[in-house]
Amino acid sequence: MFRTTPLLLVLTGLLLGACTPKEPHLQTSIALSDGVLLPAYGAWTEADRQLAASALAFCAGNEDLQQARQSFLAAQGSWAALQPLLIGPLAGGNLAWQVQFWPDKKNLVARQVESLLQQKPQLTQDDLDQASVVVQGLSAYEYLLFDAGLNLADATQRQRYCPLLIAVGKHQQTLSAEIHQQWQGEAGMAAQLNKFPNSRYAEAKEAVADILRAEVDALDGLKKKLGTPLGRQSKGVPQPLQAEAWRSQATLANLAASLATAERLWLGVKQDGLRSLLGSERDELARRLDQAFGDSRERLAAPQRPLDQLLADKAGRDQLGALYDSLDRLHRLHERELAKALGIQLGFNAHDGD
Amino acid sequence: MKRRTLLAGGGVLLAAATLGGWRLMPGSRQPLLLSARDDADGRHQAVGYRLDGGRAFATPVAERCHDVVPHPHLPLALFVGRRPSRESYLIDTRDGRLLQTLATPADRHFYGHGVFHAGGEWFYGTENDTREPGRGVIGVYRLQAQRLQRVAEHPSHGIGPHQLLWMPDGETLVVANGGIRTEADSREKMNLDAMEPSLVLLHRDGRLLAKERLPEPMNSVRHLAVASDGTVVSGQQYEGGPQDAVPLLAIKRPGQPFRAFPLGETQRRAMNQYTASVAIHNELRLLAVTAPRGNRVLIWSLDSAELRLDAPLADCAGVAAIAEGFVVSSGQSRCRLYDCRRARIETRHLALPAGLWDNHLRLA
Repeated sequence: MFRTTPLLLVLTGLLLGACTPKEPHLQTSIALSDGVLLPAYGAWTEADRQLAASALAFCAGNEDLQQARQSFLAAQGSWAALQPLLIGPLAGGNLAWQVQFWPDKKNLVARQVESLLQQKPQLTQDDLDQASVVVQGLSAYEYLLFDAGLNLADATQRQRYCPLLIAVGKHQQTLSAEIHQQWQGEAGMAAQLNKFPNSRYAEAKEAVADILRAEVDALDGLKKKLGTPLGRQSKGVPQPLQAEAWRSQATLANLAASLATAERLWLGVKQDGLRSLLGSERDELARRLDQAFGDSRERLAAPQRPLDQLLADKAGRDQLGALYDSLDRLHRLHERELAKALGIQLGFNAHDGD
Repeated sequence: MKRRTLLAGGGVLLAAATLGGWRLMPGSRQPLLLSARDDADGRHQAVGYRLDGGRAFATPVAERCHDVVPHPHLPLALFVGRRPSRESYLIDTRDGRLLQTLATPADRHFYGHGVFHAGGEWFYGTENDTREPGRGVIGVYRLQAQRLQRVAEHPSHGIGPHQLLWMPDGETLVVANGGIRTEADSREKMNLDAMEPSLVLLHRDGRLLAKERLPEPMNSVRHLAVASDGTVVSGQQYEGGPQDAVPLLAIKRPGQPFRAFPLGETQRRAMNQYTASVAIHNELRLLAVTAPRGNRVLIWSLDSAELRLDAPLADCAGVAAIAEGFVVSSGQSRCRLYDCRRARIETRHLALPAGLWDNHLRLA
């Protein structure tokens, strides 16, 4: 005679639990959290750790300017890759300004760096941590390593600027490590994308909405980052010095890094991204989004010249204009069609309040 | 648990049991939540919902509304047109019937806020004189036979007035002059280099009683809450750069000047230079603020300025006091109820439709 034991009941329960498919939003939230968001925050933290080490090595004469610039570009690239993932502690604390100061219409970065060093020639870490966000981040670091008016290969200049370079590197390392820590652990941000309800999200769909909104904001941001130097906000007059990362000529590389992350959110690492939430009746929309991502990606990979050179002639400007239109299509597809197809409200009070 | 951890976590969550099945004050009549809201296709609505999720009405309206002004004793509410709308909608809150589409004169538009006088006969709303763009006026309307008619106006003694409320005497208006000049049919800010925000006390007959300013000219005074003891709190929106450390809340305690409300640096920074709605809980002496650019709901003790809650809520919007604490809506998420009666603030997810809630909400 068959007797049900408590153990058997537990085992059956576990088996059933394992076989029960997770609610799709929950599945997507977990997949994106573990496959895309957490690794990207980890990569950013690691790049900033290397940046801080590079600043010390460069200033001690153990690294050349070329190597220091490479470390900077890696850190800046990992930050660009994080743009579609600005949810949780970094966004909630409004800390992005401490990482990068853009737009910088009045060249505040150069002015405030020089004025800070004039006031504090023996700059300490504490001085920097208390200073304006304008000088705390990658934009100031970029100014030091790339501005045409400076040359840190020169020992005298290194002496003047190295305390700031080291302090910015350290500030970034500390900030990214703190944020990364807030992503981890039982009450961390990743856990809040894995189990619902929690103190942040009432249900998994809210988490997916937050992720989609961050992606849509980032796509809109890409348009601004390209549109500003293209002159879309200044009657068509190109503004090369208004571009993000113009000094390091990394504007387009940064756009490509952000776009790649957006596409990872769409596809997921194992075909388990936002795309997997669209039912088969939405195949046509999914294909249009695939194509829109592909089109933007290819247009971003095509130019063989840096942004300032592209802006200088008509052929280059036309190429950038076509890229802008491609990003615009991608953004609108997300904002208008994907959000609606997923039944997600992107919210409007943050952007369109009164 | 450390206090900081508690605050960062958004208080204590009442989990599954509160989802869907939870009812507010069982057996009693549910308060009616009034708000402007969009439908999924972006069409504007004036809506009323019971807090347990039951829909009282969802009336389509032509233009996007901002604040809602319930009548003090009749089942009516005016859904006020959002800048630069020239229309507001008088709604029967029992069934959502549109009783009147109220229009401003051709050279005025609404700024999204207004108040009914306690007697119920008079309505006062902030308006723009578009012949002299930015010159603030208070439109005076008389309610007769369920219709509002504009009968007079007073200067707001400032530029770009936004919210106005009654002081406890019921005869004195407190007006937030945002200080930003805009033209008819436009939301373009014309005077960011010469803003003049101010807080004005005005008798409802138009007499200017007091006018005060904050030290930062680009700190636009926009939203207000008034406590029963006459304490006024304002929420600002800062038009300067993101690098400027500017206080975004100000307070005028009875008999004292209008000055910054002391904010922790973490909260100031998190607000991202923008506050949306402000509410005061009179019995619990609490102040609640939504900061949708920072996606934060913040609650302080009104008297000690001690921070009681700093909780994430994506695209948070309206906030209103209720017996237990505060109800908060969102453009993206489910509405929350923050139960503030104990030391630990508890968060409940309300069974109202999620998202698409516009800037303000009122409970009637």
